[in-house]
Amino acid sequence: MSSPVDLRVSIAGLELRNPVMTASGTFASGKEYSDFVDLSRLGALVTKGVSLTPWAGNESPRMAETPSGMLNSIGLQNPGVESFVEVDLAWLAAQDVPVIVNVSGHSIDEYRAVAERLESEDAVSALEVNISCPNVDAGGMAFGTDCAQAAEVTAAVRRVTRKPVIVKLSPNVTDVAAIARSVEAEGADAVSLVNTLLGMAIDAHAFKPKLGRVVGGLSGPAIKPVALRMVWQVARAVSIPVIGMGGIMSGEDAVEFMLAGATAVAVGTANFVDPTATIRVIDGIAGFCRAHGIARAADLIGALRVG
Amino acid sequence: MTSSDFTTSTERPLLERVSVIANDRVLSGVSLVALHAPRVAATARPGNFVHLRITDRTDVLLRRPFSVHRATGDTVELLYQVLGPGTRLMAEMRVGDETDIIGPLGRGFSAPEDLAHALVVAGGLGAAPLGMLAERLSARGTAVTVALGAPNAERLVARETFESVARRVEVATDDGSAGHHGYVTELVERLIAEDTPGMVYACGPEPMSRTVAEIASAAGVRCEVSLERLMACGVGACLTCVVQTTEGLRRACKEGPVFDAAEVLW
Repeated sequence: MSSPVDLRVSIAGLELRNPVMTASGTFASGKEYSDFVDLSRLGALVTKGVSLTPWAGNESPRMAETPSGMLNSIGLQNPGVESFVEVDLAWLAAQDVPVIVNVSGHSIDEYRAVAERLESEDAVSALEVNISCPNVDAGGMAFGTDCAQAAEVTAAVRRVTRKPVIVKLSPNVTDVAAIARSVEAEGADAVSLVNTLLGMAIDAHAFKPKLGRVVGGLSGPAIKPVALRMVWQVARAVSIPVIGMGGIMSGEDAVEFMLAGATAVAVGTANFVDPTATIRVIDGIAGFCRAHGIARAADLIGALRVG
Repeated sequence: MTSSDFTTSTERPLLERVSVIANDRVLSGVSLVALHAPRVAATARPGNFVHLRITDRTDVLLRRPFSVHRATGDTVELLYQVLGPGTRLMAEMRVGDETDIIGPLGRGFSAPEDLAHALVVAGGLGAAPLGMLAERLSARGTAVTVALGAPNAERLVARETFESVARRVEVATDDGSAGHHGYVTELVERLIAEDTPGMVYACGPEPMSRTVAEIASAAGVRCEVSLERLMACGVGACLTCVVQTTEGLRRACKEGPVFDAAEVLW
């Protein structure tokens, strides 16, 4: 008879019942998945990106499947922060789950304005600043691939909110640790990574790109080795918590990210494959800990034995 | 009016473990898989779709959406064309193999209770969602005329199903090997003029659906179209499958795949 595994972890003062979150953009605001998942079992729910004004998103086709992955080019289609607060957040407030809102913008002013609008909303537990979307022309990844701009967005949001600030990092950089250090220096409480890898798919017979916007963001198991490497590099470079993601399909995948240094993890593309993926991952982490005689999931964080 | 939509499911979608009852090629390039799926079979309405997990392997990662072709007893039937790696794996599914489906999903066809006569227009694999519609309409007393189009006589999809339930089936083939030599849309023009239906339903290549919608609109007949889009989640979350409409961008998986043709910006 073993005692139950303690799955709790803490991120920037947020006490989570387990380390498993949803990855922004793969779970909307949770309502669609509530048919399949008891949302109160999640560590946290991270919403789709929210901008100040409504964004229409990109032209179709917006998705192309690739071996062990998918490319998306949604382009942060969303109804804007007012509609988000009125409709999505009102619904989320009645769910028993910490809500992390992904904040998007075309400009530093837009990021700041979204954060300001959400500051008085008690249903918002934390902000995730999206400086890593590869699918928009202005803003998005442009802020996440330059240390000075990443720092500037972080500082602008930091000044207008007392909520925990998580900055979501792009893998489309030469030195992800340098970006992580620059947002930590401006007051980020945590970093999450990776967003999607910029990619492309071609229909040779048609001589055409498979995505309407030509390029898009790659996600799914295909990117897991890249994501693990970046989480490992960032966890050693900063002292704030790291939320790891990129191709997590199982509890064991999640454990790998925690061993690499992640305090929490996010499940993204797997939700499309299995709408109950988040729950499977939570149960899988608990099962792994039991099998290895680990009493607390937090003991996995950075426990990788190298050499 | 939604009150008379015998076809609109109010059930919430579910994840159902299913097993393969049959998986056979029914025409050149077209196969039909029958799944033991009692819960989805009981709740699916014409125009709904299911999101099928083809494999546990990750190399073909995503589910595939398929309109429910027929739902009888405990069985759900899906028509598919072997086009890529996913449908190639699907063709290898054997009787007894297990997988799962999410369903029933999406908005189905609407059908006023007093609908006396309906015209159903199917182009190629567009017959997929229309088999069940023709069956259910006939069963409750609506006279159904079917216009069925294909490249040639060998590729007229679900012809027997339509002939067993419809009052009248007219076919058109590109090469003239069966029925009208030409496009199915030319048949539609004539059929509407001869005996104006209360509703037109169309599914097929998008240019066909668009032309049918224009003919129906000119005749003052309401038309619904089932549209095909690439999907990832299938449940309304990912915004891959959006359709441009007069109401803005709408999700084919949630507000569709059946749309009022007058709302579609083609």
